[in-house]
Amino acid sequence: MASPMSVYNSNSLDSHISSVSRDSLKMEPLTDVSLLPGEDGVIEKEVIYICPFNGPVKGKVLITNYRLYFRSSDSDLSVTLDVPLGAIGRVEKMGGASSRGENSYGLDITCKDMRNLRFALKQEGHSRRDIFDFLFRLAFPLSHGLPLFAYVTQEKYEENGWNVYKAMDELRRQGLPNNKWRITFINKGYELCDTYPTVLAVPYKSKEEDLQRVAAFRSRSRIPVLSWIHRENQAVIVRCSQPLVGMSGKRNKDDERYLDMIREANETPKLTIYDARPSVNAVANKATGGGYEGDEYQNAELVFLDIQNIHVMRESLKKLKDIVYPNVEESHWLSSLESTHWLEHIKLVLSGAIQVADKVSSGSSVLVHCSDGWDRTAQLTSLAMLMLDSHYRTLRGFEVLIEKEWISFGHKFASRIGHGDKNHADQDRSPIFVQFIDCVWQMTKQFPTAFEFNERLLLTILDNLYSCRFGTFLYNCEHARDQHDVRVKTVSLWSMVNSKTDMYLNPFYTPEPNMVLCPVASMRHLELWVSYYIRWNPRIRQQQSPVEQRYRELLALRDEYLKKLEELQLSDTSPTPRVTNSTNTPSSNSSTPSSHCTHYQTHF
Amino acid sequence: MLSGSKNTFKVRQMEPMLKERMLSQSGASARSRDILGLRCLPGECVLQRVPMVRKKLTSREGRGWLSGTLFCTHFRVAFVPQDTPEQLDNADPVLLGDHDVALAAIEKVVVVGPNRTKQVSASSSLKFTPEELLLFCRDMRVVCLLFDRLTPDAHVLQMTYTIAKTYQPLKPGSVLAFQNAALGSVEMKQFLSNRSRDPHMNWFETAQDWNQELERCGAVGWRVSAVNERFEMATSLSRFVVVPQRVLDTELKKTFAHFSEGRIPRWSWRHPRGADLLRMSSFQNNIYHEKDDIRNLELVLFGGHSSLCVVVELGEELPSTLDIHLSHSRLRALCLGDVSSSMTVPDDKWLSSLESTHWLHHTRACLRKASEVCCLLRSGHMTVALQEAEDRDMGCLVSSLVQVMCDPHSRTQRGFQSLLQKEWVTAGHRFYSRLNYHRDCDKDESPVFLLFLDCVWQLWAQFPSRFQLTEDFLLALHDSLHLPLFSTFLANSQRERLKSSQHVGQSYTRVEGWRDVPLELEDLCDPPLPPVWDWDLQYSKERQASFTQPIPSPTPPQPLLNGNLNTGTDTLRMADTIPGSVFLLSRGSFSCPPQLPPWRSSLSSSVYRKSHRRALSSEHVPGLERLLKAWALADFPHTLTSHSGPQGPLDPYEPLLPLLMGPCLGLWRQCYLRGAIHAQAFSHPLSSPQPHPVERLSRQVQQLRTQLSQVPVPKEPCSPETPMGLQRDLNQNANNSTFLFPAARSSKTPSPQQSSRPAAGPQQSSRPAAGPQQSSRPAAGPQQSSRPAAGPQQSSRPAAGPQQSSRPAAGPQQSSRPAAGPQQSSPQRSHKHTFLFRASSPGRRRSTAPEAQSQSCRPHTAS
Repeated sequence: MASPMSVYNSNSLDSHISSVSRDSLKMEPLTDVSLLPGEDGVIEKEVIYICPFNGPVKGKVLITNYRLYFRSSDSDLSVTLDVPLGAIGRVEKMGGASSRGENSYGLDITCKDMRNLRFALKQEGHSRRDIFDFLFRLAFPLSHGLPLFAYVTQEKYEENGWNVYKAMDELRRQGLPNNKWRITFINKGYELCDTYPTVLAVPYKSKEEDLQRVAAFRSRSRIPVLSWIHRENQAVIVRCSQPLVGMSGKRNKDDERYLDMIREANETPKLTIYDARPSVNAVANKATGGGYEGDEYQNAELVFLDIQNIHVMRESLKKLKDIVYPNVEESHWLSSLESTHWLEHIKLVLSGAIQVADKVSSGSSVLVHCSDGWDRTAQLTSLAMLMLDSHYRTLRGFEVLIEKEWISFGHKFASRIGHGDKNHADQDRSPIFVQFIDCVWQMTKQFPTAFEFNERLLLTILDNLYSCRFGTFLYNCEHARDQHDVRVKTVSLWSMVNSKTDMYLNPFYTPEPNMVLCPVASMRHLELWVSYYIRWNPRIRQQQSPVEQRYRELLALRDEYLKKLEELQLSDTSPTPRVTNSTNTPSSNSSTPSSHCTHYQTHF
Repeated sequence: MLSGSKNTFKVRQMEPMLKERMLSQSGASARSRDILGLRCLPGECVLQRVPMVRKKLTSREGRGWLSGTLFCTHFRVAFVPQDTPEQLDNADPVLLGDHDVALAAIEKVVVVGPNRTKQVSASSSLKFTPEELLLFCRDMRVVCLLFDRLTPDAHVLQMTYTIAKTYQPLKPGSVLAFQNAALGSVEMKQFLSNRSRDPHMNWFETAQDWNQELERCGAVGWRVSAVNERFEMATSLSRFVVVPQRVLDTELKKTFAHFSEGRIPRWSWRHPRGADLLRMSSFQNNIYHEKDDIRNLELVLFGGHSSLCVVVELGEELPSTLDIHLSHSRLRALCLGDVSSSMTVPDDKWLSSLESTHWLHHTRACLRKASEVCCLLRSGHMTVALQEAEDRDMGCLVSSLVQVMCDPHSRTQRGFQSLLQKEWVTAGHRFYSRLNYHRDCDKDESPVFLLFLDCVWQLWAQFPSRFQLTEDFLLALHDSLHLPLFSTFLANSQRERLKSSQHVGQSYTRVEGWRDVPLELEDLCDPPLPPVWDWDLQYSKERQASFTQPIPSPTPPQPLLNGNLNTGTDTLRMADTIPGSVFLLSRGSFSCPPQLPPWRSSLSSSVYRKSHRRALSSEHVPGLERLLKAWALADFPHTLTSHSGPQGPLDPYEPLLPLLMGPCLGLWRQCYLRGAIHAQAFSHPLSSPQPHPVERLSRQVQQLRTQLSQVPVPKEPCSPETPMGLQRDLNQNANNSTFLFPAARSSKTPSPQQSSRPAAGPQQSSRPAAGPQQSSRPAAGPQQSSRPAAGPQQSSRPAAGPQQSSRPAAGPQQSSRPAAGPQQSSPQRSHKHTFLFRASSPGRRRSTAPEAQSQSCRPHTAS
C-alpha cells in the first residue's frame, strides 16, 4: 500500500474532472461532449447527482447509445461523470412518486467498475420513466434485441488490432512446429472442441484419432494442447480441462498415453500436473463426472494449487467494493482488507503461476488444468508465460498473450462480464480477468523496469473489458466470434492502443531477454491496487506516479545542465572537442527511451 | 591551562591501551589485513575466518547469493565478497563494510542445520553442524549466511561459537566494551580527534548557529539569548534559546519557573508567510504570577509581534511513549518473526496482525497533527506553540515533522541533519534513555525517533520528488541508531553530551566563558564518540552518494513578511499591555479555556478578564476552523487546483500534506522486511543488478552538476535562473545564506575562532573536495568556499586562476566516476594521507604514537 497514488485514469472514464473553463459550464445543451463516431444522443435531462463525496450536485445528464454523461451546472463544484453504458451492471428505481424526503426519488445505478451512481429527479410527472426506459434498454441491448455498441461505432484507426495475433505466427515465434510438436488443424470447423481455437499444437507422435479419443475423456473436449515451449530446455506448458473420471473412477488409456507423449517430448522424468483447484473441490467434481488424474497416470505427479472458484472470487471482490466505495473503511482498514481475502486470492494465483514457471524453467514439462480450463487455467498459464518469456512483457507481446491464452482459448468473457445482459445476478459472472490484470499489476510493481507497458494500459484494458466499444472481449469463444463476424464488424481494442502507443509505454522499461521474473507472492509484499479499486474516490490524488514525475523532472534537470554546460563552454576559449566528448559520455551509457535520447541529441 | 592538563590525561590513558593492543595483535592478525582481504580497523583483530561462505542478498541488493569470506572480529561480523576490488591502504577507515554487521547490532544468532534450527548463545553447544547462520539484528535486518559443504565442520562450529561468544547482548558493561573495540585504539582515537565537522550543516551549538537560522528563515523580532549558556536555567534545554527581542535576559530568567523543567516557549521555525512555530513544556500551575512576570510571559508566548497564539496540545491525540514502545515491539516481533523459533505470523493473518501493532495508527496520528499545524502556519500571522508535558518527545517529533512538510531545506540531507540537531539533539530529546542502549532504563525505553523516521518515510513515499534526501539516507540513519557509538544518541541532553565530550577539546567551538565550566572527570567517556553525521566513518563514498538525489533547483523564496491575513488578525492587533487571544487546539477544534494560559485566570490579573476578550476570542474560532477545513478539502482535486495547478509553478512552501487514508499509508518494507526470509520461495537472482533508470539518470544529473561546478564561472554573469547565479544573488541579499542552503561557513569573514584554532583551517577547506558527497550539494559547493575573498562579481582572473589549471583534468574524471577533483585539494589530501597511512599500518605503530600525540597536541598548545 505504499505509494499508492500513481493514478492514470483512462480519460474517458474520469469522474471528477476539474474543468478549467468554468464559463462554459452555464451553456445550456451539453454540446461539448466529444461523442464517438456512430454515437447518438438519446435523452438529456436535468437531474441531481447524489455524489457520495460532495453531496447532491445539480446538473445535466446525457444518455447516448454508448455512455451516460453528467456535468454539474453549479460553477463552484465541477463534477463530471462519463460512464460507458457497458460498465453499468444494474439500474433500479429508487423511491416512489410518494416518497418523502429530499432526493429520495430517482435512479440507482450499480456499475461493474467498482462504483455506484445515484441520481435524483423531480417527483412530479413520472419524470424518470423515460430516462429509466432508455437507460435500461441501452445499457442492456442484448436483453432487448439491440446490437452492442461495438457493432454501431464508426471508429477508424490507423492500425488494425485484429492483426496483432495470428496463431501460426506466435507458434512459429516459439519455434514450432519442431520434431516433437506438430500443428494440427483438426479443430478447423470447431468439430473437436467448440471452445478451442482452430490451430492447436500437440505432440508429434499423437495421431488425429488419439486426439478424438482424448477429447472424449476431457471435460468439454478441451484436450491438452501446448501453450508455451521453453526455447532451451524444450519444457512445455500444456493446458486442458479436467479428466472425466467420475464417481466410478474411469480410466482412459489414450489419455494416459497422450500425457506420456507430452512428457516424453523433452524427456522430463515426471510430468507435473497442476490442478488449480483446492483438492476438496477436485474431489467434489467427481460427483458431476469430473475429477483429477489418479495414480494410474505413471510418471506424473499431481499438485493442487488451492485457488478458489469463480463464485468465491466474485464475493471477494464484492466485499472489497463494500470497504472502498464510497468511503474507505477508516478505522480497521487492514483487517477489513484482510477479511475480503482479495489479496489472498491474488497471492494464491501468483504463487501458483510462480510454481509453474519455476518448474518449466528447471526443465520439466507441466500440465495445467482446473475444471473447464478456461478460468484459473488461463490465469496460471498466462502469468507463468509472462514470467518466463520477456516477449510477453512488451506492449505487443502482452496483447498477444491476452489474445492467445484468454480470448482464443475460450475464457468466457461474455458470461463472466455479462456484456449487454440485464441479468445482474447471473451466477456465471466473475472478475477472473480483473484478477489476472491485478496479478500483472503486482508484477509491474515488483519489477518496475521489466515491462514495456505501463499502468495506464492495464486500466484501459479493464475499462474496455466492460465498455462494449471494441469487439476484443465480446463473446465466449472463437466459434461464437466467427459466427458474429466480430473481426469484420467491430474494431479491436488493440487498434486504439497501437495507434497511440506512447501513452501506454513505461519510461523505465529496460529489456532483459531471457530473464525469468519471480515475484514475491506474500501478503507482506502484495499491495492493493489503489489506483484501480479506489480511483473514484477524489481523495486519491489523480496524479501521475511520483516516480515518473521524478523521472521527468530529472530529465528536465539534465537538459538544463547540459544546456548550461554548453553555454559556459561556448563562452570559454578552451578547446571544444574534449568538452563535447565528455558531455556525451552520459548519453552513451544511459538507456533512456529513445525518444528522450533523440531529444537530448538535438541539443548539440 | 586546561588544555595542558587534558593532554597529560590523554598520555596517561594511552600507555596501558597501547600495551593491550600490542598484546592482542599477535602475528597472524596483524598481517591479516592484506592477505585475507578484510580491511581491519586499527587495533581490530580477526578472531575467526571461514572462506567460501555465501550471503543471501536482499531484493535491494539484487537478490541471489554472493560468495566470499566470513570474518569475526571483536567488533563485527564481516563478510568480504570475492574479488572485492583492492582498496587503497591509506584510505580513511570505515567502521563497517557494506556487508558487515556490528556485534552490538546483533540481537540473536540462529543456526540452521539439517532439519533443525537453534538459537545459539555463548554457553550453548551444538550437536549438529550448521549449514546456515542467521544473524537477527536490532535494526531489523536479518543476515543469512550459508556455509559451503566443503568447509570442515570444525571451522563452521568454531565460527558459530566465536560469534555467539563475542556478540554482546546489550547491558551496561558490554556497550563500553563494544565502543572500545570499535574506537578505542590509539589510532582510532587519534583519527577521530582529528575529524572536522561537516561545515555545511547547522549544528545549533553556538549563538552564531542560531543567528544563522534566524537569518535563513527571515525571522525578525527574535534574538538569541544566552541565559542558559551554562544550563543554569534549564538543564535539558540547549545553551541558547531564541526568544522575542523585546524580552530582556533579566526578565526572561523569571519565566523559566513557570514552565515544567524550565522549558519556556522557544522559537523553532518561521514559516515564510510570517507565522512562528514555538515549543514549550506544560505550565507550572502552583506558582504565583506576579504582574511583571505576566507581561513577560505574554511577550514570550506571543513572540512579541502577534496577537494571536494557538497552543497545540500534543498530549491527547498522540501516542504516549509507552504506546510507541509497545507498538514498536509488536512490529519487530511481527516483521522478524519469533526469532528463537523462526516462527512467523501466517501470511493470511498478516494484515490484521500488522493492524494490531497500531504502528501505522500512531504514524497517522503524528502526520495528522503535523498537517494541522502546517495548515495553521501557512495562514499567516500567529504564533503556534506546541505544548507537551515535558516537551522532549512529541514536541521534537511534531515540530520537526512540520518543518519537513513545509520547508524544502529540511528535505535536503544537510538540512534534515540540521533540523535534527535543532529539534532533537540540542533540544534535549532523551535519546540515551529512549533507546536504552545500556538496558538500564527499561521503563523509559521508547523509539520515538524511529516513529519520526517512519513518518518522514511516509512523506517521502508520497512525495519522493520533493525530497533531496533518499530512502537510503533514512535507512542509514535508522541503522545508525542501533549502534551505540555516536555521541548524538548517547546522551539525554546537550548538557550531558558536552560534559562527556569535553576532553575531545577542539571538536566543540569554544565560546567565551566556556572554559570556566568545571570538568568532571568521572563523566568523561572513553573513547571519544563521534557524531552520527560523520557518515564517512560508517559508509563508503559510493554508499553515501545514494543518500541524496538531485532535485530541481528550488524557486527562490518569496517571503511574505506581512503574511496572508486570512484571519484578519491585523485589525485586532493590540497594544503591549492588552493580551491577544490564546486558543487551544485539541481534537481538531479550537477553544479558549479560562485557565489558558494559567496566569490569565489568576485573580491578580483581573484586567485581563474584561468581557470583550472572550467576545473577540470566539470570533476567531470560525476563522481558525476554516483553516483546518481547508486542509481536509485540499485533498479534493478541485480545491487543489485553485492552489496550484498541476502544471503551474509549485509554491515550494506549500506544505506536503500526506494522504492519511488507510490504503495510503504503507509499511516501510525496505526497512522492516529487509530480512524477509519468509518472503522468498525461490531466490532467483535478478540477472543484472542494474540500478533503476531513475537512479541512473539521477547519478548522471549529479555528475553534470559536479561538472558544472568545476567549469570556471565566465566573465559575464550567467543567466539568472542558473543555480549558481541564484545562489550568488541570494547570498548577497540574505546574509550569505539562501533559504535553502546555508552558505558555507568558511565563506564568512574570517572569524576570531578560526584564527585561534589553526588546525581546523586546512581540514575544513579540504572537506568540501572530498568526493561525491560534495557533489550532492546543489551547485557550486567548492567554489563558494574557495572564493570567499574574491567575491562573486570579480571572479575573473585572480580567483579563477587555480581553478582554470585544474580544468583540463576535469575531462577524464567525468567519463569515469564522479570523484570530484582530488587535484584541487591535493596538498591537503596528501598531507592527510601520509598521516593516515602511518596510523593504519601496524608495523610502524610504535613510531606513530608519539607523533600522533604531538599532532593532537598542536591545536591545544596553540590555543
